[in-house]
Amino acid sequence: MYRWFDERLNLTRFNKKFLNKAFAVHHSYFIGEIALFAFVTLVITGIFLTFNYEPSIRMVKVAGKSLPAAYASVLYIDSLPFGAVLRSVHHWSASIMIAAAFIHLLRILISGAYKRPREINWFVGLLLLLLTILTAFTGYSLPFDAFSATATGIGYGIGTSIPYIGEWVSQVIFGGEFPTVHSIPRVYSLHVLWFPLLLMATLGLHMLVMVKQKHTQPTYAKKVAPGRILGVPLMPQQAYMSTILFLLYLAVVFFIGGTWIAHPIQVYGPPTASTPLVKPDWYLIWVYGILQIIPGDLKIPLPFGAVMNSEFIGSVLIPGILGLVAILLPFLDTRRTKMRYMELPTRHPVRTAVTFALLAFLVTTTLAGWKGELGLSAGQLWAIIIGSSLLTYLVVYYAIILIWGRPPKEDLDAA
Amino acid sequence: MYKNDSVLPFFGLLLAVAFWMMAYYDGLHLAALAGHPLEELSGGQFGLITFGALFFIYGVMGYVSYWLEGDELRPGRHESPNSFWAGVTIATLVIILVALSGLLVQTVIYWANTGPVSYGFAGRLTGYILLDMAAILMIYKKYFVAEVVIAEDEHSEVPW
Repeated sequence: MYRWFDERLNLTRFNKKFLNKAFAVHHSYFIGEIALFAFVTLVITGIFLTFNYEPSIRMVKVAGKSLPAAYASVLYIDSLPFGAVLRSVHHWSASIMIAAAFIHLLRILISGAYKRPREINWFVGLLLLLLTILTAFTGYSLPFDAFSATATGIGYGIGTSIPYIGEWVSQVIFGGEFPTVHSIPRVYSLHVLWFPLLLMATLGLHMLVMVKQKHTQPTYAKKVAPGRILGVPLMPQQAYMSTILFLLYLAVVFFIGGTWIAHPIQVYGPPTASTPLVKPDWYLIWVYGILQIIPGDLKIPLPFGAVMNSEFIGSVLIPGILGLVAILLPFLDTRRTKMRYMELPTRHPVRTAVTFALLAFLVTTTLAGWKGELGLSAGQLWAIIIGSSLLTYLVVYYAIILIWGRPPKEDLDAA
Repeated sequence: MYKNDSVLPFFGLLLAVAFWMMAYYDGLHLAALAGHPLEELSGGQFGLITFGALFFIYGVMGYVSYWLEGDELRPGRHESPNSFWAGVTIATLVIILVALSGLLVQTVIYWANTGPVSYGFAGRLTGYILLDMAAILMIYKKYFVAEVVIAEDEHSEVPW
């Protein structure tokens, strides 16, 4: 049978070319692989969920109670054998995919892997992170319980706050003022079709560019096989490793997904007129934290009657500035020679210290999301955010200089 | 970043424990405020457990890679050690896998006909099955698959 296909498709040539492709080996590459495993898990568990979910807010009678159809269908999913566990695995995988994509980005940042010739893949990676967050956010609204409906309402508010195009963006995504009868079908379509398709295309491009440009390698490879790609072939070594790692990933996620059922909607109940006080999911709390500590009545007038309000500044403009800096990074931090090997973080103290300061900023702005519970004023929180970011920079920078010394001149020349 | 050592995976596991402990103490604090244990995780706990899971998976994968692939690759073909006891272990794990799979099928049948079983039991049972499969493949790769390391030309024609 193989020969039959081989005569028609020349599979031997394909195998010779692709199955012998060298995969560099280093544990830090697994963080990106974890994001990929999470995506595969999301697609598989997502197919099961779409078979049983009803994207509608029409009211249906369940055990004498009138409930939105979307909410009732998630209760039905939870009642199926393993249904709640699979939904939980889906939710945890979405969360892990965002965390893995973010930590993967930090790994690229800290090892300088965004530099020439890998700038394109850095931009594609940033787009992937954005798409991952958008896909997770749209999925969050689908159970249409009190918690998710309120959190999605916050997202709707952020969408409408964008000057000039906000109303239009919200109309396209939510089909009117959230929640309307069109909201859930629209968000469902984005969540199960358009965003996953975009994610698949972007992920495919990310891998294709990576395969073409070759992976950055651990530094020791410079001595073992200079100028060549040192690694294990796709078949069988890498295929074995990826299968083992995927099974390990699934094992951990099933342990966690079964032990803690994510988003137990029966606890929250269907949406009610009395909106409960909710915070967004963890990956957006830092944005929520910024909104908590900037004045709520900011209104900066723009031409043609548009206004830039606090919601836009806190949740779109400030994250947007961070995104812009990330886009410009490969042009700001360049090198003259082609980058083949991962740079050691201890040989680039400024970049490493900035990365840790960015982490401190994100952690402290996340903490600001609990402003009310912490009992701190906006001024105190600003002082903590700015102070801890600066302090982290100084501590990391001087710790590296003290322990590993100043970087040798050849490292600086390469940069 | 220098080689495929076990230093960063160790810190990955350490961070995982730290994140999970934070989630645990956060839960205790919230339960004390509410006056009773909560039925659901808070947003903060969810984030902490997520990062704990991520670093745990990374740490375990790092150790597995260190065990199976070593800290440095050397080009060439390295024959596998072919251990008798590795074969016995794989056979034992296959028997356990069959038993666990049978239990999984029984669980689904019970759930469909009689009523729900504990979510924790269902999740952990599936987890054990997957872990068993991973262990079988790990031992097989370590003891029965020759390690091939190549040094590919940087300008190879893959994919174009």
